[in-house]
Amino acid sequence: MDRWVHPAIFYFIGSLLIPFVKGKVKKFLILLIPILSVIDVAFMKTGTYGSVSFLNMNLIFGRVDKLSLVFAWVFTIMAFLGALYALHVKEDGHHIASSFYVGSSLGAIFAGDYLTVFIFWEIMAFSSVFLVWYRKEQRSIDAGFRYLLVHVFGGLCFFTGIMLYYYKTGNLVFDRILSENATLAEYLILTGFSLNAAVLPLHAWLSDAYPEATVAGAVFMCAFTTKTAVYVLARGFPGFEVLAILGTAMTVYGVFYAVIENDMRRVLAYHIISQVGYMVAGVGIGTEMALNGACAHAFAHILYKALLFMGAGSVLYMTGTAKLSRLGGLYKYMPFTMIFYVVGAVSISGFPFFSGFVSKSMIVASAHEQGRLWLLTFMNLAGIGTFLSVGLKVTYFAFFGKEAPIKAKEPPKSMLWAMGLTSFLCLIIGVYPKLLYDLLPFPVEYHPYNLPHLSEMLQYLSFTGLVFFILLKKLTPEDKINLDMDYIYRKGAGLFMKLDERVVGPLDTLWGELYRTLGLGLLFKGASVSDGVDRKVIDGIVDGSATTVRGTGSLSRRLQTGKIQAYIGFSLLIFFLIIWLILT
Amino acid sequence: MNVLKYIEALRRNMKTLSIVLIVYLTVLALYDVALRLTEAHGHYWIDTFPAYWSIFGIVGCFLLIKIAKGIAHLFLSKDEDYYG
Repeated sequence: MDRWVHPAIFYFIGSLLIPFVKGKVKKFLILLIPILSVIDVAFMKTGTYGSVSFLNMNLIFGRVDKLSLVFAWVFTIMAFLGALYALHVKEDGHHIASSFYVGSSLGAIFAGDYLTVFIFWEIMAFSSVFLVWYRKEQRSIDAGFRYLLVHVFGGLCFFTGIMLYYYKTGNLVFDRILSENATLAEYLILTGFSLNAAVLPLHAWLSDAYPEATVAGAVFMCAFTTKTAVYVLARGFPGFEVLAILGTAMTVYGVFYAVIENDMRRVLAYHIISQVGYMVAGVGIGTEMALNGACAHAFAHILYKALLFMGAGSVLYMTGTAKLSRLGGLYKYMPFTMIFYVVGAVSISGFPFFSGFVSKSMIVASAHEQGRLWLLTFMNLAGIGTFLSVGLKVTYFAFFGKEAPIKAKEPPKSMLWAMGLTSFLCLIIGVYPKLLYDLLPFPVEYHPYNLPHLSEMLQYLSFTGLVFFILLKKLTPEDKINLDMDYIYRKGAGLFMKLDERVVGPLDTLWGELYRTLGLGLLFKGASVSDGVDRKVIDGIVDGSATTVRGTGSLSRRLQTGKIQAYIGFSLLIFFLIIWLILT
Repeated sequence: MNVLKYIEALRRNMKTLSIVLIVYLTVLALYDVALRLTEAHGHYWIDTFPAYWSIFGIVGCFLLIKIAKGIAHLFLSKDEDYYG
């Protein structure tokens, strides 16, 4: 196929048709959009398409190579699974938001220049926030606003970086940046990208917003924002040492919080930080094998993380809570959900024959190849924590353990099908990794199934299980939340409001008083001066203007808006008007 | 449903299950000892130590739980309405 169709078009146009159809046709349309995009990606050939000239800049909408294709594959497949899972959602707006979200992330991965990436980057943030808001609870609305604010900040960093980059180089071509040439411009772009990848310490938006999203919305969100960021990092910033270190720190940081969290979906959200940490570290190590590993892990991670969020979402949907302290014994009522969740859990933990095993180990092995022993040790420590919290803690306290007084049922069939299909994909990648390895940007010479590696993984995972059951009581979930970096802006916002109340507010009142007493007094004085200057000639006129002044004064009192800038501007305007009235 | 029956059966026989699991862990560790002694594998010097990853699993998991829970109780944990 020589003509290239941007897969995002299906999402942008198709989703707008959703409100106009009903019943089965609507469900068909919701599923058809991602299916068409998968077919589109399947027939795609590498090359550069969709070049548009705009304001003397060359925008490229379609850079198709192996790196963008592997992400396009998993994004479109995930969009289908997510759409299937979201079929029960009644609001058209939810489907439109998720479609725009998927479409814009596809737009970002095919973009060949920074400006195009930026445009789609912002559409992503603004469409995904609706997936939080559609939960329609006060907590979600608040979390959505925080999510948006943080992403606007990241977008601003990114945009400033682009401007500086353009100033420096005279073009906006988005390509690999060498770490020795990086200046402020590149580091600002890197900051913007890192924020979306939830790199420490810019990660708190993720664990804050995702657990407050809708049941289906979280399934979409966990797949696209962070993985688009991993793509742009892999494209632009391989070999940046700072990413290798921060990425490894993320892997441990995420599991640390996951061990103490109570909300099922928040545990999973922290595990996104942890797992994306492996990918970021892979990008930071920067060898061909590490980049392959980052892409493979992104692919596998999107599927099993979505599966886990589907399982946790089903529990939330059917029981009304995702708090581990209030759940227990659900295996009796939701056996299918339990099985699918466990498939996701063993995949993320990296058990042999599941997808995590063949992807995560590639990054760990590349750290070994480069002699990065500390990175390797911490990544394996994070592997322990992953199995401990997602595999054992959540499974035990939600599906087994003490039986909670909650009677639940299996979720709707469409949700079960979505989970079943995703489980199948996790298994097939684990059993037949060639399927995934063939998609990767560089040729793969890595074989995950060798005896020492199998022995290593099984040992530390199995003995983690032993310690879990010994320390089971220690791990009982508590009805608590845990402080994280969002403390700074959540409490900071309170501080700002107090500042507003105590300093800006009184200043505003003071200004108002000053204006009322001083300003009007001056005006009256001015009026009387001009009155004295030419009493006989313009007596009547001055009388008239004095009345006007008094009238305007009372009007302006009524017009006080409380906003200090508007107030200053408004009063200056009135002041000049009166001066003009008096002097002419 | 069959799966339910199996799970119930396992839950009734926790003792047998734990014996089976302990045997499994022992075999796993011993196998690794044999593997490391016969051929030189491993990522770095300490890793050539027999059953290193078993010890890593035990120590790592223990430390992770203790440190995480410790710090949580020290200052990270707050009531659910902390932010209002």
